[in-house]
Amino acid sequence: MSQALALFPWAAATWLLAIGVYAIVTSRHYVHLIGCLSVVQSSTYVLLLAVGYRRGAGPPIFYTHPPGTPAVDPVVQALVLTDIVIGATVTALLLAIALQLHKTRGTLDPEKLRPMQR
Amino acid sequence: MTRRARLLLCVLAAACLLPACLHVALHMPPFGAHPLPYGEAINALATRQRHVTNMVSAVNFDYRGLDTLGEEFMLLGAVTGTAVLLRGSRGEQLTARPGRVGNRPVAPRSDAVVLICRALAALTVLFGVYVVLHAMTTPGGGFQGGAIIAAATALIFLGEGYRGWRRIMRTGLLDAAEGGGAALYALCGFAAMAAGWPFLHNFLPLGTPRDVFSGGLMQIENAGVGFAVAGGFAVLFVEFLEETRAERDGDGA
Repeated sequence: MSQALALFPWAAATWLLAIGVYAIVTSRHYVHLIGCLSVVQSSTYVLLLAVGYRRGAGPPIFYTHPPGTPAVDPVVQALVLTDIVIGATVTALLLAIALQLHKTRGTLDPEKLRPMQR
Repeated sequence: MTRRARLLLCVLAAACLLPACLHVALHMPPFGAHPLPYGEAINALATRQRHVTNMVSAVNFDYRGLDTLGEEFMLLGAVTGTAVLLRGSRGEQLTARPGRVGNRPVAPRSDAVVLICRALAALTVLFGVYVVLHAMTTPGGGFQGGAIIAAATALIFLGEGYRGWRRIMRTGLLDAAEGGGAALYALCGFAAMAAGWPFLHNFLPLGTPRDVFSGGLMQIENAGVGFAVAGGFAVLFVEFLEETRAERDGDGA
């Protein structure tokens, strides 16, 4: 049972990545595609936090516990923290591009938007 | 490329990648017992070396401070790009009316909503500042606190309506907070260089552990990140909500 549970974080990260990439490939709308990109990105959060987890350890904050008490990895947490903020702003940038695209071309369907087409 | 061909290409790529992925997945260390040499070293040393109790902040603002500077400028780049894309085609009018869908009437806000939003917005800003200030001791920091402060501006929009909200949100001020925060972070690095230390060297007095103002230079970098994130997210709100306002004659397409 614990063996299966131990695989669960990796499986969750893989599933998020796979379902996100599949949805991007078959997407018919750019706003949907940008949402799928966020799903792909969240797989990295799950993966990083799972790598940094240590069984029985506390948070990497030594305010009430003295330094030296078992704690999870602060490096991956710092990575995820900045990743979330950057992800949110990059999503905003992509949505702004989609908005401008809709103004000039009138559609957001990748099938109807051939590259370099006037 | 047709839909079918695209899907076929995706399946082909997945089939090529799958053996490598499986190989890695089967050789992963067990969950919960991953070797963490870098993290363990920081957990063991950072409180003694940098006098802070929040290890995540120690990583963000000191041990990996240069990376955070890069992320800071990615934030600046993304926000600038969004502002250029949306503002460029619209012009900057502060008096524009909000857009409406069809003939749907705009219901007046109840006094209860206005009251709750005003009280909550003030408290949310206060909480955001609290989170920014406690970066070095307890869970907190410029990234989280800045996002909380920016969220308060959405509450102001809910309570005051478009016109009142737009009067409060000075775009120039928000732009200055966004760019100035990133500049402050970079200047911290150059200040250390000017004094003869390596870039971003923590040259200020470190203070005592568990004190809110411990951490030396990390405090200033953290404040810069707080300004940049709060300003950046607020600029994004302004730009996207501006898009919903009604177009008038003489506006660009």
